[in-house]
Amino acid sequence: MEQFLQAAVIGISLGAQYALLALGFTLIFGILGVVNFAHGGFYMIGGYVAYSCVGLLGLPYPLAVLIAVAATAALGWVFELFLLERLIDDHLATLMLTLGLYLIVSNGLLRVFGPLSMEFSFPVSGSIQFGPIYVPRENLIVLGICLSAILALWLVLFRTDLGRALRALADDRQVAMAQGMRPKLLFPAAFALATGLAGLTGALVTPILALSPGVGDPVLATSFLTVILGGLGSLGGAALAAFIVGIVEAYSSVYFGGSIGALVLFTLVLLLLVFRPTGLLGREIRGA
Amino acid sequence: MARLPLAPRQRLLAWDEATAIAVAVVCFIIPLLTKSVLVYSVLNHALIGVIAAQSVWIMLRMNLLTFATPAFMALGGYTVAIAGRYEITDAFLMTAAAFLVPALVAVPLGALVLRLRGTYFVLVTFVLSQIMQLLLFQTPDLTGGSNGIAGIPAVTLFGTEMISHRQVLLFACGIALIATLIAVALTRYFRQHFAAIEENEILSESLGLVVWRYKALGFVVAAGLAGLAGYSLVNMLLTAHPSSFDSAIAVDFIAYTIIGGRESILGPIIGSVALVYATHAFGTQGQYAQGLYGVLILVVILVARGGIVGTARLLWRRMRGPRA
Repeated sequence: MEQFLQAAVIGISLGAQYALLALGFTLIFGILGVVNFAHGGFYMIGGYVAYSCVGLLGLPYPLAVLIAVAATAALGWVFELFLLERLIDDHLATLMLTLGLYLIVSNGLLRVFGPLSMEFSFPVSGSIQFGPIYVPRENLIVLGICLSAILALWLVLFRTDLGRALRALADDRQVAMAQGMRPKLLFPAAFALATGLAGLTGALVTPILALSPGVGDPVLATSFLTVILGGLGSLGGAALAAFIVGIVEAYSSVYFGGSIGALVLFTLVLLLLVFRPTGLLGREIRGA
Repeated sequence: MARLPLAPRQRLLAWDEATAIAVAVVCFIIPLLTKSVLVYSVLNHALIGVIAAQSVWIMLRMNLLTFATPAFMALGGYTVAIAGRYEITDAFLMTAAAFLVPALVAVPLGALVLRLRGTYFVLVTFVLSQIMQLLLFQTPDLTGGSNGIAGIPAVTLFGTEMISHRQVLLFACGIALIATLIAVALTRYFRQHFAAIEENEILSESLGLVVWRYKALGFVVAAGLAGLAGYSLVNMLLTAHPSSFDSAIAVDFIAYTIIGGRESILGPIIGSVALVYATHAFGTQGQYAQGLYGVLILVVILVARGGIVGTARLLWRRMRGPRA
């Protein structure tokens, strides 16, 4: 029973991290129609920026996280505005651009920081006891920040004019443009918002897991898995699927070990893609 | 249906296809001219890249970008590795098996995944190569799991063991030539069909083209070619290991094809040779090549859509002046 609860805690905390990544990923697909292969790259940049601020500049960790978010959002904004924007309606071209960016980012980080893992640890340690289970403090803090970020994102998207404009563009770009929404301003903003979320996740999670130039690959695979499961472009679906993926991963690693859980999830996603491309909560597929 | 008397269509081979075959033939001479280990290594890697990139290129002819190449390479490579356990090493038999096993697997798989287009096809092939990677780890009895299969016996051609560096390279040249011939035959014979699908799939279907038939054929042949690439890779390393078929290597083959140029079969060939050479030239650390690929992909997508071959063709036309 204790093991069962412990796995649930791990699953939920993984789920919250995956949700942040998947929300950004699905936001970019839903609004811009772009599959962002560089998502793992922004996660890594977030991690390395936070590491550099703490390890090299000696800044306090919370400030480092904020700088990481700002840096990844700025990079995303610039990349969208100057490169992606030029080919925004060509699905394969935008996909290749983000892939190229990912290769450059992961290789650049490899050159600057070397192939080894960084010594980057979370500033808070120890754990809190809830009845029979122990929850590491760092996981609780990350969970809290992730849930707050998800709430903030929800407020932005559903309670502000910016969010309404972004959702309008995702629903029907032509009509939204006719109503005065300006993609030239809003697309870079949406991309920056999403990459900022990836940077936030990277800055929060890499001190707990690991920080090396290879950590972006599994992030991309997990983001894919989650957004397809939830339905490409669906925000609620992505959040729900993220927690499903997190919990399945946690339980399968506790009870079966190895990669059985991942295999089951990927096979499920393959079948879902083929037979129900709209995913769990997806809406109509956009013209892809 | 009356056939239009278009002269180019009646040509047996276009200049680029003839050049592609000629390049594959000329490769046989290189192992006879030199014993340089560097040349052997670069050429062998390039030849494997050529086959895999041709597999990617065939799918791109139908406007489908595939990340599944490593999965089919693994099927071909492991087929040979497992046959090696039973002392089956005949070159002809194994070449046929390395082509046919992935091709046969691609038949039912194609029926599933070819329903998807564009972004969704990209995602499903990405998922496929992840699944293959996980399957390799989950089936230790068959594939050796995370250890892979080591000590695969060398291939035998007419009773001779192809064991020396030169023989291994000559064999790789042979596989690359066969793959190039298959790719040229397929895309030449169905040139217009593929062009119609690439241009506008819905329109060509409404004009009576049975699109799924050609897409399925392309997918199956592309899978078979990837299997041959896997065979060549396993034969070079004499080991079949999951890391050789990591889903990340799909990016390399896509880079070879896009950077070389997707509009001609010369693209994947020139792209593979140029990028494999550049990888070696940039230093022994092959990992740094990824950044170079990234920059080149951005350049090709943003300013030189035809890649190396397309840009060269454009410059050639400009130099010859407006009469061309």
